[in-house]
Amino acid sequence: MTREQIRKAEGAAALTLSTLSALLGLFWLVFILGDVLVQGLQALTPTLFLNDPAPAGAEGGGLRHAFVGQLLITFFASLIGVPVGVLGGTFLAEYARGRRIARIISILSDIVVSVPSIVIGTFVYAVLVKPVGHFNGWAGAVALAIIMIPVVLRTTEDMLSLVPWELREAAFALGAPYYKVIIQVVYRGAATGILTGILLSIARVAGETAPLLFTSFNNSFFSVDMSHPIASLTATIFQYATGPYKTWHAQAWAASFVITVFILLLTILGRLIIRWRYK
Amino acid sequence: MAVTVKRNPGDIIFFSLTAVASCTIIVFIVGIVFVLLTESSLAIQKFGVIQFLTSTEWDPVKETFGALTSIYGTIVTTALSLLIAIPVALGIAIFITEVAPNFLRAPIGIAIELLAAIPSIIYGMWGLFTLSPLMGNTVEPFLKKATASIPLVSVLFQGTPMGIDVLTASVILSIMIIPFTASIARDAFNLTPAVVKESAYALGTTKWEVVKNIVIPYSKLGVFGGILFSLGRALGETMAVAFVLGNNHRIFTSLFDSAATITVTLANEFTEADKDIYLSSLFYLALVLFVMSFVFLAIAKFFLLRAERRYSR
Repeated sequence: MTREQIRKAEGAAALTLSTLSALLGLFWLVFILGDVLVQGLQALTPTLFLNDPAPAGAEGGGLRHAFVGQLLITFFASLIGVPVGVLGGTFLAEYARGRRIARIISILSDIVVSVPSIVIGTFVYAVLVKPVGHFNGWAGAVALAIIMIPVVLRTTEDMLSLVPWELREAAFALGAPYYKVIIQVVYRGAATGILTGILLSIARVAGETAPLLFTSFNNSFFSVDMSHPIASLTATIFQYATGPYKTWHAQAWAASFVITVFILLLTILGRLIIRWRYK
Repeated sequence: MAVTVKRNPGDIIFFSLTAVASCTIIVFIVGIVFVLLTESSLAIQKFGVIQFLTSTEWDPVKETFGALTSIYGTIVTTALSLLIAIPVALGIAIFITEVAPNFLRAPIGIAIELLAAIPSIIYGMWGLFTLSPLMGNTVEPFLKKATASIPLVSVLFQGTPMGIDVLTASVILSIMIIPFTASIARDAFNLTPAVVKESAYALGTTKWEVVKNIVIPYSKLGVFGGILFSLGRALGETMAVAFVLGNNHRIFTSLFDSAATITVTLANEFTEADKDIYLSSLFYLALVLFVMSFVFLAIAKFFLLRAERRYSR
C-alpha cells in the first residue's frame, strides 16, 4: 500500500469507530427507554393513580400515596429552591457583576451541582431529622431544594447576562432605581430563559432518590402530613424493585415509566424553549 | 459596568435579599463540612484518620469500622466505568463535531443529553431486571471462557458469574457518565478555531488527521476537565449501583465479586445504624466521599476554566 492509502485507511477506520460509538450511545438510550416503555405500559392502569397500595404481595392496589407524596415534596422543594436560586443568580449577574465574589460563587455552584446527592441527604438528616426525632417530608423537600438552588442560580445568572446592558442604561436614564430596572426590565427580558432553568431543575430533582432515603424516608400509607415520613415515587421504586413480589416489580416499572416520561418531557420542553427563544 | 447601589431603600432591601440568597451556596459547603465533622467526631476520635482510611474491617457487631473496603469499591468501579466510557464518549464527541452531516448533529446531541436526563434510579432498576441477567447469563460466562487461558487476566474473571457484581455496576455507571463526558468533550472540540482546521485541510490532511493532530491537542485541557468532572460524578453515584453491587464489604479481586462502595454502604446501612458509633462512622464515610468528590470536581473546574480562557479569545 502506498502512504496515501494507509492514511486513508487509518482515517476510515477511526471515523467508523467514532460512528459506531455514537450508535452505541443511541443503542443504550433505545434499550433503556424501550425497556421502561414496554414494561411500564404493561403495568400502567388507572388504578395505579387512584388506589393506595394493597397488602404486600396481594394483587391490585396502586401508588396514589407515592404520586401525591412526590408531588408534595417536589412542590415544596421548588417553593424554597426557585426564589432562592433566582435571587442568588440576580445578585451574581447584577449587583456583583464582574466582581470577584460573583465569580467565586458561580464556580462553587458549578461544583455543588455535582456533589453526591447522598451526602446532601446525610447533611439534611443531621440538621432536620435528628433534632426532630423522626423522618419527615419537610427534610426531603429541603434536601431537594439544596440540589435545586445551584442549578436555578447558574441558569438565572447566564440568562440575565444575556440581556443587553444598553437596556438597563435606557431604564437608568429614565431615573429608575436599580431594583426597579432588574424587576421590570431585566427579568422581563430573561423570563423565558429563567423559566426554562426552573423546568430543567425540577426535572433534575424529580428523579432524585438518594437524598430522600434519609429525609422523607418512605410510607406505605397515604399521607399528606409533611411533618412525618411521606412516600415518594423514587423511594417506592427502590423498595418495590428490591422486594420479592411480582406485583411490586410491575408497579415499580409503571412508576419508572411515569417518572421517566415526566422528566424527558420537561427536558425536551426546556430545550425547545431555548431553541425557539434564543436562535 | 457594575453599578454602585444608591441609598434607595428599595435597592438596599433587594441588594441584601439577593446577596443572602447567593451566599446560601457558601453556607451549604461550609455547613456540610461542619455538620459532617461534628456528626463523625465520635468515629474520628475512636478510629483516627489513617486507621479509618486503611482498615478493611467493617463490622457493626464488633463495632469496629474501617473505610478501605468501601473506598476500594468506589475507586475500582469508578476507574472501570471511566475505562469503558472515555473511548465511547470521545468517539461520540468526534462524531457530533466532525463526522455527522449537519442535519444529524442536533438530534444526536439531544439524544445523548436525554441519556443524561434519565434519573439514576431508572438506570438502577433497569440494571437489576434487564442488564444483570444479561450479564450473568451471556456476557460474563463468555468473558470467563475467553480469558480462561490467559494467566493474569483470568484472575479478574474468577468465580460464578451472577450478574450482581462489580462488572455489571461499572457498565451501568459507564452508560451514565458517557453523556457527561461526551457533551463536555463536544464543547471543548467546538472551541478549536475553524481557521486552523481549514488550514490543515488545505494542506491535504484527512479528517482523522485533523481530529488527531489539531482538534485533540487544541482541546486536551477541556477534555481532561470533562473526564475529571465525570469522575467526580461517578464517585458519588448511588442508585445506579445500589441495586447491582450487593453491599459486600471485602477487598475483591474478581470482577464477578459483589462489593460495596461508599454510596452503597450509606444507602443500605444509614437507616439501620442502631448504635451511635455506627452512625458516626457512616457520617465519617460521607465526609470522606464529600472531600473526594469535591477535590476532583474543583480540579476539573480549574482545567475547564483554563481551557475556556486560553481558547475562547
